[in-house]
Amino acid sequence: MWSCEAEDAGVDELFAVLGYKVKSSDMAEVAQKIEQLEEVMGSVQQDGLSQLASETVHYNPSDLSSWLESMISGLNPMPEFDSSSDPFLESSTITTIDNGSSVNSRAQMVADSDFGSDLISIPGKAIYPRTQPPAPPPQPQPQPQQQQQPPAKKPKTLSYLGNSVANLQSERVFARPVESTRSVVLVDSQENGIRLVHTLMACAEAVQQENFKLAEALVKNVGFLAVSQAGAMRKVATYFAEALARRIYRLYPTNPQDPAFTDLLQMHFYETCPYLKFAHFTANQAILEAFAGKNRVHVIDFSMKQGMQWPALLQALALRPGGPPSFRLTGIGPPSNDNTDHLQEVGWKLAKFAETINVEFEYRGFVATSLADLNAAMFDIREGETVAVNSIFELHQLLARPGAIEKVLQVVRELKPEILTVVEQEANHNGNVFLERFTESLHYYSTLFDSLESCGAGNCDALVSDQDKVMSEVYLGRQICNVVACEGVDRIERHETLTQWRVRFGSAGFGPVHLGSNAYKQASMLLALFAGGDGYRVEENNGCLMLGWHTRTLIATSAWKLS
Amino acid sequence: MAHELQQNERREEIEKRAKFCINDNMDLLIEILKRLDDRSLGVAACVCRLWCALTRNDSLWEHLCFRHLSPQPGGVRTMVAALGGYRRLYMVCVKPVMTRLRLGKVRWGSGSEVERRVWSRHEVELSLSLFCVDYYESVLLGGGRLGGETSPPSSLMILCKAVNV
Repeated sequence: MWSCEAEDAGVDELFAVLGYKVKSSDMAEVAQKIEQLEEVMGSVQQDGLSQLASETVHYNPSDLSSWLESMISGLNPMPEFDSSSDPFLESSTITTIDNGSSVNSRAQMVADSDFGSDLISIPGKAIYPRTQPPAPPPQPQPQPQQQQQPPAKKPKTLSYLGNSVANLQSERVFARPVESTRSVVLVDSQENGIRLVHTLMACAEAVQQENFKLAEALVKNVGFLAVSQAGAMRKVATYFAEALARRIYRLYPTNPQDPAFTDLLQMHFYETCPYLKFAHFTANQAILEAFAGKNRVHVIDFSMKQGMQWPALLQALALRPGGPPSFRLTGIGPPSNDNTDHLQEVGWKLAKFAETINVEFEYRGFVATSLADLNAAMFDIREGETVAVNSIFELHQLLARPGAIEKVLQVVRELKPEILTVVEQEANHNGNVFLERFTESLHYYSTLFDSLESCGAGNCDALVSDQDKVMSEVYLGRQICNVVACEGVDRIERHETLTQWRVRFGSAGFGPVHLGSNAYKQASMLLALFAGGDGYRVEENNGCLMLGWHTRTLIATSAWKLS
Repeated sequence: MAHELQQNERREEIEKRAKFCINDNMDLLIEILKRLDDRSLGVAACVCRLWCALTRNDSLWEHLCFRHLSPQPGGVRTMVAALGGYRRLYMVCVKPVMTRLRLGKVRWGSGSEVERRVWSRHEVELSLSLFCVDYYESVLLGGGRLGGETSPPSSLMILCKAVNV
């Protein structure tokens, strides 16, 4: 016993707990090296993407693909996302990324080992042929979920570490490579998060350059890294990874998708977070003000769906001084897959509601595959009617076909509306360069998912059910898939910013209508009701109202009239 | 002798007083109940069947919703009655809106001062709009849910519980 003590004498106790045998006398040196390491790791991350993309060693174990598939299929239960048909499941090729620099000229991966279970057997040297891997400073385990995946995580993080410090002269700090069976997370999730974003960007860049081999390897990495994240980042990364994979393997989702299911998803999105409600309430306020003093009104709705917008408008009209006008509604919707006349059903329900509150109501529904198929004569505008046209998240879809938006705006002009209310996503996802679109949409949807996390989170008693949240996420995930994976006429999620829309409307002969302070107050009050209401911001922008999450505006409501 | 007379008088007085029962004077009772808050109304409903029936009277709840707003916007009564009544309006919209918006502005210490605040026109409009949406969703859309979910979704779920108290 005495001899044991003598051996362990001087070994620092705290490190000993973690399994490192470091003498206390060496502590100063150790601390210095830790500092050095942190410094260089910090500076590497600012070096940009190209370094990572060109020097990263990528592993392609066969198990990882099934893991990625299970993650994706867990989140996308739809038939067209049937992962069994995805070819990247069967691939088990060994991918070597060779790069120009001599740093990793001998880089080889250990592809035949089973990453899923027994990574302990990988000797450190096989992964790091040249550089001495500095084991990162011991850190407390950040999240319990990562503990379950420590074997899988280690080589990834070490590989990144090894490569990120490849250019630097750090030496071995600790003598403990991967052989240990400790489940210590070597790098905390924040760094993984940064790596995740970098990998996504690198993959998009590879796709842009049509370097599909590299892109393929990178996208698998993304799936791996995404697991280490929690919450919004994980979900966003998974959706983007899937979209990228679809683009790489040319497995495009079928278009058009089942409108009934889309409606269902949108209903859940309506309930979970305030974006649609904001859109409806602000548009309604503009229409209400435009209808002041008019006795016969006609609303044409390009985005009929379940008709959730109209009960509130009918109520406001019913209570206005002077009583309600006679109200006519024309709804436009896509053809439904089953034989039910969905538009008529919605119209009937709205008619019942209008009857309950004593508003004279008339309804007509038009089925149209695209808004460009409509013409002004169909609407049968009557003498003395005041017309309002409403479009919530519909106009951007027309940008997929050349000439469509101009035609639709021309039709709207012929209807001579008193007001045209438009709500659109505030982002530019319609650029010609894929990488720019990708970056923009990554930021946009990350913010959107972040805001979703706050809805229903925070309290132990969930305000919003998990099912609602998941459905909302699927709703957004489809949009992500469309922006990233599709091209040409299939890519319908062609969002544009308010500035771009202003130019379009201006050149089509429309002038802006300022949304008043009533709309602003109502919107602010509405947002205050939502959990996480602190994060939402209503802004006024030259008469248009914009809703954002923290510093990022996400949707914009604008109103127009013929000029 | 005088002492006895006094005692008799007092006894008669007491007997007369004992014959007065609040339940015989409904107008008075309703006037009193009108001044209660929602929780007290709930408690009052547990007293006896008469009181229970009285508290179900919608005019009490109308008073509760709009007592601080005058004049009441015209036509609201018929609309609210058609959509389920003031009691429902209060439980589903008014109370959560009031609580939620107040918590955002007022410190915890104010406690029972919650109802003293006067409604603004905007809050009334917003509550009514949300009430309509709720009616439309639950009554009209509740039957034919796509996908057949077990629990009817409600866009007012966000109002169900107080947040970040």
